[in-house]
Amino acid sequence: MSYLKIENLVKTYNKTEVVKKLSLEIKKGELMSFLGPSGCGKTTTLNMIAGFLDVDGGKIEVDNESVQHLPPNKREMGMVFQNYALFPHMTVFDNVAYGLKLRKVTKVEIKRRVQEVLEMVRLSGFEKRYPKELSGGQQQRVSLARALVIKPKVLLLDEPLSNLDAKLRQQMREEIVEIQKELGITTIFVTHDQEEALAISDRIAVMFEGRIEQVDTPADIYNHPETDFVSQFIGEVNRVRGKVLEVYENNKCKLFFYGSEQIVSIHSKQNSEIDFFIRPEKIQILTSPSNKGDEIKTIVERKMFLGPKTRYFLKIEDNHIVADISNTMINPNDIHQGSNVFAIWKPEDLLPSRKGR
Amino acid sequence: MLYGNQKIYYLLERVGDSYMKLETGSTINIKKKKKKKKIWDAWLLVIPTLAVFIFFFLIPLFFLFITSFKTFDASTGIGGEWTFQNYIKFISDPFYLGVLWRTVKIGLITTLVTIIISYPVAFQIAKAKGKVKNYLTLLVLSPLLISMVIRCYGWVILLSNNGVINSSLMKLGWIDQPLELLYSEFSVIVGMVHVLFPYMVLSIMGSLERIDTSVLRASQNLGASSLKTFTSVTLPLTLPGIFAGSVMVFSLSVSSFVTPSILGGPQVKVMSYITYEQVAVMLNWPYGGAIGFILIFIATITIVFYSKILSKSKKGVAIQ
Ligand SMILES: Nc1ncnc2c1ncn2[C@@H]1O[C@H](COP(=O)(O)OP(=O)(O)OP(=O)(O)O)[C@@H](O)[C@H]1O
Ligand SMILES: [Mg+2]
Repeated sequence: MSYLKIENLVKTYNKTEVVKKLSLEIKKGELMSFLGPSGCGKTTTLNMIAGFLDVDGGKIEVDNESVQHLPPNKREMGMVFQNYALFPHMTVFDNVAYGLKLRKVTKVEIKRRVQEVLEMVRLSGFEKRYPKELSGGQQQRVSLARALVIKPKVLLLDEPLSNLDAKLRQQMREEIVEIQKELGITTIFVTHDQEEALAISDRIAVMFEGRIEQVDTPADIYNHPETDFVSQFIGEVNRVRGKVLEVYENNKCKLFFYGSEQIVSIHSKQNSEIDFFIRPEKIQILTSPSNKGDEIKTIVERKMFLGPKTRYFLKIEDNHIVADISNTMINPNDIHQGSNVFAIWKPEDLLPSRKGR
Repeated sequence: MLYGNQKIYYLLERVGDSYMKLETGSTINIKKKKKKKKIWDAWLLVIPTLAVFIFFFLIPLFFLFITSFKTFDASTGIGGEWTFQNYIKFISDPFYLGVLWRTVKIGLITTLVTIIISYPVAFQIAKAKGKVKNYLTLLVLSPLLISMVIRCYGWVILLSNNGVINSSLMKLGWIDQPLELLYSEFSVIVGMVHVLFPYMVLSIMGSLERIDTSVLRASQNLGASSLKTFTSVTLPLTLPGIFAGSVMVFSLSVSSFVTPSILGGPQVKVMSYITYEQVAVMLNWPYGGAIGFILIFIATITIVFYSKILSKSKKGVAIQ
């Protein structure tokens, strides 16, 4: 089923491995994001796939055929570079036609296909312009058109939106997804912007220090992070600590959190301490204690009005957490700085940390 | 010698200007928007240079231009009458026209040869990294550290009839008679190329280094081989460098005096040499001035013509 297959890919620079046995399978027509902090090896991996860098180990296959021995010009992969890399001495038309001319396509056919793809990226009428005469977003679209027009087997996008302003970025990413889905082209989208990755990907490969931490759909990455790194890198999290009071059968424990008791599905030992992550929007607050004994007494340190929701900065003993509460649930005017409120969360929303377990 | 230098600066200035326009066409608009006061601050820094340029170059040049339309007076040098005779004399004498043609020919061949020799060198240096790059650059520049006269006599030792090359070839039995290498256009060109190629290397290297590697990668990614990438991306993007280098090499070559004097001798007379003859030996300033201006004129035309060919259909020269 997988179209692009990467197995145990390794890249070493001066004896340090920057890509460490990276394996990944991408389905045909899928949009896979590489998401990770700066320097985690995203570009390096992409360059190995495109053939600009030699691999120091591992395999790259497209459609069950190894492409490793092929030079970049034989790999049929379209790449969109971070800085667009348009040919400055060629017009928009010539830039887009470049790959077609190399493929000995007839002049008439070149003209037709260039016009078609320029229409797709909404740049008809710009054929005679030079890259210098285009805005960043327009250059980016030429670069995309240039890569798409050759109908590549795989489309590689290296942070294609990072040079654009926020608004244009959002607009462009929607256009990219639209075109990608329309053409059904297998795509790798490199980004270090998690919101971008969550918004556009079919699946996300979260990378950290040359390794893939988790590959999953955006929802699963967000709701079921498999490693501490993923928990903390994707979205925002609070860290809370609980102490195991009692161990039950069927992998449940009674835990003690800052004066409250909860039964959580987790495998652990009596008296051990466990760290959990919990997202700000998973925390509820009450102005008066419930009678179930699962609420935690906190002090409101600060609040921040964010339109549809309000962010409350809460102090629990010596720990600080934030809770995002919809303004339709609680009127922020009712909660005062320095007052006591009660925080509650559902045990199933707790994401256990892998460390300290 | 005096004329030689003046011509160089004049040409570089002229051509440099139009070249700058080509290259930075798009930035001019931006500059206009800046506040007036800023522009004046910038001009203040230029004033000393500008003053030297005007007083020690433009004004003397202007007087020389006027002088070239005066008659020759055997006792005072410059006569009192106005005349076109100096220019007519040059144009109508096959000997002088021959000298002009030879000068331009040597200049063009020297330029062409330096481009061919320098490009691969510049390419390698631009590719090199760190220390290696510094050493290679120093190596290329090292000829400039040695006096031109010494370098020329080095070539005399190599090229003369009983010089290193001829005696080696004769010992090998490849030739019976020594080849006439020295005191020919060939030896002048060899010497000039040696002297001038660092300028070309530096100039081409500059434009090679400005090429973004991702542009080259994009070309390969789209299916171009390394050779194709070179011919359709690298080479067009280095045309400005080739052009700037050519202007320098050509101007320095047509106005050079030492190299043709030592390596060409009396057989290979060039414009700077006959100018020197007129001014310093015959003391005929008006005619010397006319010869100087004819060279400036021809060299400018050649460069303008050359730039037209080079930038023809390639707007890329103007971009980047
Ligand atoms: N040519 C090189 N020589 C040595 N180390 C390199 C080289 N190129 C990259 N690296 C190192 O490899 C690691 C991964 O680099 P890479 O460019 O793949 O990061 P990235 O994930 O694309 O980061 P960013 O988001 O900043 O673009 C970095 O630590 C970088 O310092
Ligand atoms: Mg990168």
